[in-house]
Amino acid sequence: MKKLLTAVFLLLLVLVAVFTLSWSRWSYAAQDREAILAPTTAVHPAGTDELGRDRLVRTAAALLIGLTGATLAAAISIVVAAGVGLLAGFSPRWIAAALMFFSDGFLSLPWLFFLMMVRSLLPLTASPLMTAVTTFVVLAFLGWPAFARAIYRGALGMRGSEWMIQGRASGLTTWQLMRLHVVPQLRSLIWPQFLICVPAFIMAEANLGALGLGVGEPIPSWGAMLMELDNTALLVSSHWVYLPIALLVVVLMILESFASEVKVYA
Amino acid sequence: MSAPVLRVRLTAEYGKRSVLRDICLDLCAGDALGMVGSSGAGKTTLVMALLGLLAWRGGKASGEVLIHGRNLLSMTEREVRRIRGRLISLIPQSPMTALNPAVTLRAHFEAAWRAHDSQGRDALASRMRDVLEEVQLPAGDEGFLRRKPGQISVGQAQRVLIALALLHRPSILIADEPTSALDPVTQAEIVKLLQQLTRRHGVALLYISHDLVSVVQLCDRLAVLHAGTIAECVTIAQIEQARHPATLALFGSLPVPVRVLLAHTASRETAKEDRWGRDLVSPQQRC
Repeated sequence: MKKLLTAVFLLLLVLVAVFTLSWSRWSYAAQDREAILAPTTAVHPAGTDELGRDRLVRTAAALLIGLTGATLAAAISIVVAAGVGLLAGFSPRWIAAALMFFSDGFLSLPWLFFLMMVRSLLPLTASPLMTAVTTFVVLAFLGWPAFARAIYRGALGMRGSEWMIQGRASGLTTWQLMRLHVVPQLRSLIWPQFLICVPAFIMAEANLGALGLGVGEPIPSWGAMLMELDNTALLVSSHWVYLPIALLVVVLMILESFASEVKVYA
Repeated sequence: MSAPVLRVRLTAEYGKRSVLRDICLDLCAGDALGMVGSSGAGKTTLVMALLGLLAWRGGKASGEVLIHGRNLLSMTEREVRRIRGRLISLIPQSPMTALNPAVTLRAHFEAAWRAHDSQGRDALASRMRDVLEEVQLPAGDEGFLRRKPGQISVGQAQRVLIALALLHRPSILIADEPTSALDPVTQAEIVKLLQQLTRRHGVALLYISHDLVSVVQLCDRLAVLHAGTIAECVTIAQIEQARHPATLALFGSLPVPVRVLLAHTASRETAKEDRWGRDLVSPQQRC
């Protein structure tokens, strides 16, 4: 029940964001030079930023971009992790050891520098969309090893489980074992990882954006919008500056509540 | 005496650690051999070796496991798979963990059926009716089969596992402590059920248990597994002649002298002299 309510709330937020984007006369990049750093006005209900862009529209766009990007990145990350984890779990020991060594290597990468490197490899003329895609792909790329390890543990548990032995003792073929036993269990193994992954990636993007390593201007992202908060003059002038961070916290809380309520099969 | 359906000459080890040494046992159709032994004596290893599954636990078995005269240990995995569940079946120890909690009971039966039989749903339906009736589960009840293992009782789960083991009418049944997770009443019911099955179908039963009482009720021979070898093998009728310290220690753990237990079981069995109508004169050589 609680889960349903939070899900409905998240859906409402997304719908409001879509509605805002499609009905507002401003686009996320449009500058209203008459109203720079404006407080609430009839045209800009949540005011504007220092370039005169509508804050409500930009926040709505940031919400949608953040959610979509993080969900897609989480999906990529989990698919890779599931592939590697399951392969390792059901392979001979030396293959498992090699795969886990590989994923440990990934975990040990200094990811911030890696990210800076990837970003610096992009030409300066790279389109903002390109930077957005790169940011999330890199997140997915860096995110999988931790989950691969969790899925590998789960796969090992499955491999040694009583029902797997029972299945083998009944003479089931490998294909049957996969279909009957592994696939249904996979959902309960992967789903929690996925739900943990989405808020983590939103948070990571926000942090990277605040460092200037995330999604490039003028595409709005939570990271870029949080940068506004280091301008003290702005903080005093309008409370609407806090809108993006407040929304970020709300969305993260909703997503975290999903992650904590997952039913896991023993 | 007919040729044994299961003939075992077996040694097994995990890496360099030897777990089973020179295990010899023969089982004929209709035989019920009880195997007792303390934890760590190698019972589970023996079960896995008999099913050709020891490699999955990182072990290695050598010697021979002859099932209808064919050596399981020299077969390819593909050949062994065709035998598991069809000629030799397992009733596992813990009913609640031996069924996949994410999968319905029907799906368990369907998979087990298709593993060895390409005849369609009708053949499965009729076989399932028989086998569910046999283990005293609701045979015609679709609702029951749609349940998942978490929604049935432990006793029912054990009956489901017995039904799964019987699905292809195997000639050899290995029961690995099938009653250890059950309450005393359900235990007694399951023992009775196994008793009927061996009698009715002439299945060869290897009954592994901690519980000497159920062994005396169910089996006609008793083998004591101790530190990886069969320390002693006696018929239940001559159980009092057992001399090995491990056997005596087991008897000592009973609340009543083994003689009393035997007399009690005999009084409940009307035709005790020759329960299976077979020659029990010199079974010592068969272990």
